[in-house]
Order: sequence, then C-alpha cells, then structure tokens
Amino acid sequence: MMDKPVAALDNAASPSIVKVETGDEWQRLSLIAIVYFTVRNIMGMAQGLVYIIPAMAVTFNILENIQSPRAYAVIAGVLLLTSLSGVVSFFMYKFRVHNQHVEVHHGVFQRRYTNLPLWRIQNVKIELPFYYRPFGYALVVLDTAGSGKEEAKIVAVPLNYAHALKKRVLFEKEIHNDNAQSADSHQTVNTSSPDAMMSGDHDKRDFAAAQQDENASEEVLNRRSIGDIVIHGITNNRVWIILGAAAPFYDDVFGFISEWLAEKGLQLNQIVGEQTIAWWQFGLYAFVVLMMIMAAIALLSVGGALFTFYGYTLSRSNDRYIRRSGLLNKLEVSMRASRIQMITAKQDWLDKLLKRVNLYFEQNSTAGQQIQELMSPNKLIVPSVTEAESVALSREVFPRCSFQRQNYKSISKRFILFWLAAAWTAPFLLAFVVGALTAHLDIMLISAAGFCLVSLVLVLRWWRWGIASDGRYIYVRRGRIGVDYLCFEPYKVQQVMIKQSVFMKRKKLATIKFVLASGAVTVPFLPEEYVHTLADSVLHEVESTRKSWM
Amino acid sequence: MHNEIMSEGSATVFSNEHIQTTELPSLQELGLTPISRRYRTINLSAISAIALVLLLIVTALRFQSFFELPEDLVVAYPYICSVIFGLAFLWASYHFFADTRITYAVREQDVSKQSGLIFRKLSCQPILRVQHVELNRGPLERWAGLASLQVFSAGGEMYTFEIPGLELEKAQKIRQFILDHKDVSAR
Repeated sequence: MMDKPVAALDNAASPSIVKVETGDEWQRLSLIAIVYFTVRNIMGMAQGLVYIIPAMAVTFNILENIQSPRAYAVIAGVLLLTSLSGVVSFFMYKFRVHNQHVEVHHGVFQRRYTNLPLWRIQNVKIELPFYYRPFGYALVVLDTAGSGKEEAKIVAVPLNYAHALKKRVLFEKEIHNDNAQSADSHQTVNTSSPDAMMSGDHDKRDFAAAQQDENASEEVLNRRSIGDIVIHGITNNRVWIILGAAAPFYDDVFGFISEWLAEKGLQLNQIVGEQTIAWWQFGLYAFVVLMMIMAAIALLSVGGALFTFYGYTLSRSNDRYIRRSGLLNKLEVSMRASRIQMITAKQDWLDKLLKRVNLYFEQNSTAGQQIQELMSPNKLIVPSVTEAESVALSREVFPRCSFQRQNYKSISKRFILFWLAAAWTAPFLLAFVVGALTAHLDIMLISAAGFCLVSLVLVLRWWRWGIASDGRYIYVRRGRIGVDYLCFEPYKVQQVMIKQSVFMKRKKLATIKFVLASGAVTVPFLPEEYVHTLADSVLHEVESTRKSWM
Repeated sequence: MHNEIMSEGSATVFSNEHIQTTELPSLQELGLTPISRRYRTINLSAISAIALVLLLIVTALRFQSFFELPEDLVVAYPYICSVIFGLAFLWASYHFFADTRITYAVREQDVSKQSGLIFRKLSCQPILRVQHVELNRGPLERWAGLASLQVFSAGGEMYTFEIPGLELEKAQKIRQFILDHKDVSAR
C-alpha cells in the first residue's frame, strides 16, 4: 500500500501532463521523506539541546563523564531515537489532493489536519534539499494569505508532480479570481461554475491548455552570473550562511588552526609575552592578522552568497514573479505582482562604489514569523544588480517609477537637534561630568568622542532623508553612508499616522507614518502643511479608488 | 491598463503644485470626540490598586515574624516604599492628563484617533482596509460599562488600531458601522 501511490505518481510523471488529483485514497510520501523527517528532527533536537547543555553542565561534570562508555551509549541512544522518529513521522504523514483541496494529516504526538482549498493558496514554494536532488524529489510548501500557521508542506513528491501542482494551484486561483470578478460585474454565472470546475474533462482540457500557455509565457527577466554573486558576497555580509551551518565545528577548527600556527613556529603567546620585539612590529603583526581575518570573512561571505544565489534567475510568468536559486538546495519563490507592496533599493557604501544595488520586492509580512530574509517568501531579493538593471526591474513591477528624482522633500534639521536633546545629550553629559569630578581624563575624552560620533551619525541620517510623490507612487529616500530608496503605491496603504510633539507643533513640523502590509514607513520632521496634504491625498486615494491591496 | 486610468485621474490630486486640495476631505477638520471620562477613573483606580497591593506585600514582608530579613533589606524598606509610590504617582499623573486628551472621529470611510500628551499621535484607519473588528472588555471596563474597540488591518499586530474607553453602546455602534460598511461586509 505504501509504495503503490508513489509509483502511480512516478508513472504519471512520465507523460507531459501530470495528474494532480490523487483521488479519494490517502497517499504516503516517497521513502526519501524519511531522510527529510530525520534531518528535521535532528535539527529540532539540536536546537533544544542548546538550551539544555548549560543545565547539564551544572548538574553533571560533563568533562569527566564524556569519555565514559555510558556517555557514548546515551549519545548512540539519542541518535537512534531520532532516526527512528524520522520513520515514525513518515508513517504518521499522509496527504491527498482531492476535490480541489489539499489535505494533510501529520504529527506524531499532536496530530494535525490541514485542509487547504487550492484557490485559497497564495504562495507555492518548491524546495529541493540536496539529498532530494539526485532522486528528483521536491518539497512543496503551500501557504495562504493569513498566518504562517496555515501552511501545508508536502514533504516528498516527484519534482514534476510538484511543478504540476504548482501550476494547478496558480490556474485554480486565476479561475477563482476571474469568477469573482465576473460575478461581481455581470451577476451571471458563466460556464466555469463550481460544478463545471469540479467535473473532470472540461477542467482538464482548460488546465492542459493553461499549462502549455504558462510554459510558453514564462520569461526570464534577470540572471545573476557567478561574478555578480561574488560581488554580492563581498559587498554584503553573507557570512552567517556559512557560519550558521558550521557552528558545531568551531572548536575543532580553532584547535586545528592554532596547531597549524604552532607547527609553523608562530605562537601567539610567545609574541605577546616577549619584550624583544618593538611595538611597531607587534602592531604590524596585529594588522596582518586582522587583514587575514577580514579576507577570510570576505571569502566566507562569497561562499555564503554562492550557496544561496548560485544560478539565480528572476522570471515572470503571467502576473507572477518567480525566483530560483541555490547551489545545493534549490529554492523557488513565487510572488504575484499585485501583491507586491513596496520596492526597496538598498545600496551601502561599497555598493555605491561598485555601482550595485540590492533590490527587494516586498509583499505582506506575516506578523510574528521570523524567517531569514533571503529565504523568506515575503521578500523577493534580486542581489547586486547594476543601477541600470535596478531601474529596469523596478519599472517592470511599478511602471514609470523613478527613484532618482530631484524633488525629494528633505526633513528638517530639527531632527538632529531633537535626537541630541531628547536622547543623547543627557547620558554623555553625565559621563563627562562624572569623568570631570573623578578626574578621569579618559572618561571625559571617550564621552566627548562618543557625543561627536552620535552627532555625526545623526547628521548623516538627516542628510538624505526625504519623501516625494508623483501621481502614482510615493518615494522615500534615506540613508547614512549608503542610500535606501523605497517606493510604494499610495492606494495600498493600510493606515496613516501623523505624530507631532508639542515642540514640533510650535515649529510647524510633523512626522508621517504609512503602515503597509509589508511594514511601516516613517518620515520624520516634515513641514506640517505638507504632511497633512500628503496624508489627506493618500487617504483619498485609498478610499476613493477602492482597489485591493493584494 | 486599468491601473493606469485610475492613477492618471489621481495624478492631478497628487502632484506637488498648489491645487484644489481644499476639496479633499482633511484630517485637520475632523470633529474629534473625547472618549468617556470614566476611562481615566478606571486607570487611576487600577494604578492605585496595584501600588497598594505592592506596598502591602512589601510591608507584610517587613513586619512578619516568620523569618529574619537581612539587615540591608530592613534599611531599604522606606526607600522601596517611596520608589513604588513615586512610580505609581508618575504613572497616574500621566493618565490623569493624557486620558482626557484621547479623542476619536468616525467618518464615512475611515476611523481616526488622536492620543498622547507631549507626543500627539493621530492615526487614521480606512475602513476599506479593515480585516476584522473586536470589542475588548476587561473586568474593570465591564464594571464601568466601557469597551475598547480594536480594528485589525493587514498592517500587522503592531499597528492594531484601538480606541479605548468607549461607552459600550457607542463602541457597539461603531463596530456595527464598520461591519456594515460595504467594503467590509462584501467579503
């Protein structure tokens, strides 16, 4: 019973059109899913252990017991249990795609049942963990607009089935949307009534046509070459991708490095301990070591960037943008154009020097969900594109938008004054006075330097912060040493806030904040008059056009 | 294409030139109504109750005869009491002045609230973007016949629009108004 459905899926995969519906029967996953479940359980356990280890270290003397056979037995037992739990999870998981619904039963102790109507699914993500790739399997993540809880994972299905399912979901959604629209406008029910949609033949033909259509219409908008990704690795800190994966081996690596250094006759404590070398010599050593560390970090970062962005393509298929990338784990994220709330173009100082831009398409962020930004389906990143490409890509999504404009309304200099007065002067002054009273010159110097530094940062922050609007979009420019440009359509705003302190009111200044589904955008210390006009017109735009934000 | 026509029309509304902005409904002309005065009473009594309970606990600990307190704590007792009292006083005086300054307004298309003592904040929630509405009533609010109206949008939990201290009847009315609004009820 276990292998049959999978075999059926495999067979179905060979013809050009894959059957998506699995029928009434509950399906088991392919056997490879055991690997997935095991890996997931081990990861989960490792995360749990991080918290337990300190507690254990206090109660037992780990260092003494770690070598004993009992410890090995415990470790072996734990490993065995986890791998067994993978098998158990596998047997407790079943799914079916039936009557336009994806249904999943899963969970060992806490059984869960998820039922997603196909047309309600907003995002389809296909992931290819490296151990799936040789066998041609994929992990499909389906989620609805709402919370991250309403997410279904189909853990291991053949790759072409995954793609077929994805296309089917997109197709279903389109029909659903069309239906909703036509029902709205004409009040008539056309041929694709729910009954007709359920019934097989008619539907299948439409779907097949749509599928071919889709294949033909997918257009690649942007590719990133290895060179681009290397640049991205250098300009952006992607170290954590590697560091995160390598965390368990830190001790070994450091041990190995110090051994290696010792072998080469370089012993750190020798250098520091001996008085024979001059201070400049020591400084030079320190500088060289620092440079080596920096180079190593840059190298790691490039590795991290290659790891996530290798073979990056951004393509468009009808009204969807699809990102595919990854060296070992291929990741696919797709996003409907209409759901993009905001475009962000970020450029830090190194990017500015190399004339590169990181472009983000942001859709609604599900609250309380902490996903790493690169993997997140809510942010579609196009890494390190050239400035021209960034203009072209952002115009592709928001036609005729232009970040580089002259009419940015700058924020008032009082912004600097306010932050100095309200937050920074008191602590630094206090430190300075304490230094003066206790006759510690160093404390006085440090607090004075700190104050200058904070003022400098505030000035830089004030420097470019501004807002502009043309008929269609609102633009925000901000940045300290780098520059960020934000662009959004006013009709997608969820809430508008105007903030004004008593002092700001006296100077006729106000802060405006737009809440979008992707997050809030604040521009402080603008002329009061301007803020009110802008707020009124944005509200008017939202309330009079009545367009959907999704 | 549809998109373009829509925005083309609003382009005149938006550009920076002096235009007939007076024709747009303005946030500055909102007829803001203050919330119930009982809201302040509730807050003040809640703060006093909390401070009183804390003081009682500290005093009970100080003068009980079950176990010996360290000498330092005995010395610190009057200071702890005055800190509790001072914080409660600050907190209460904030509410004393700020609570009467919470005002709200309901227009055809949106709900607004203004609040804050030194930093005045005016937030405006278009009803079109409302996901769902909740009435919240804690024990004290029930006792005073008040309710807080919470309006959720896709902006996320951090930006939940809330009008506290509304008379129950008013709160229900606004809630019904939002629910009956064709943009919300259409879904």
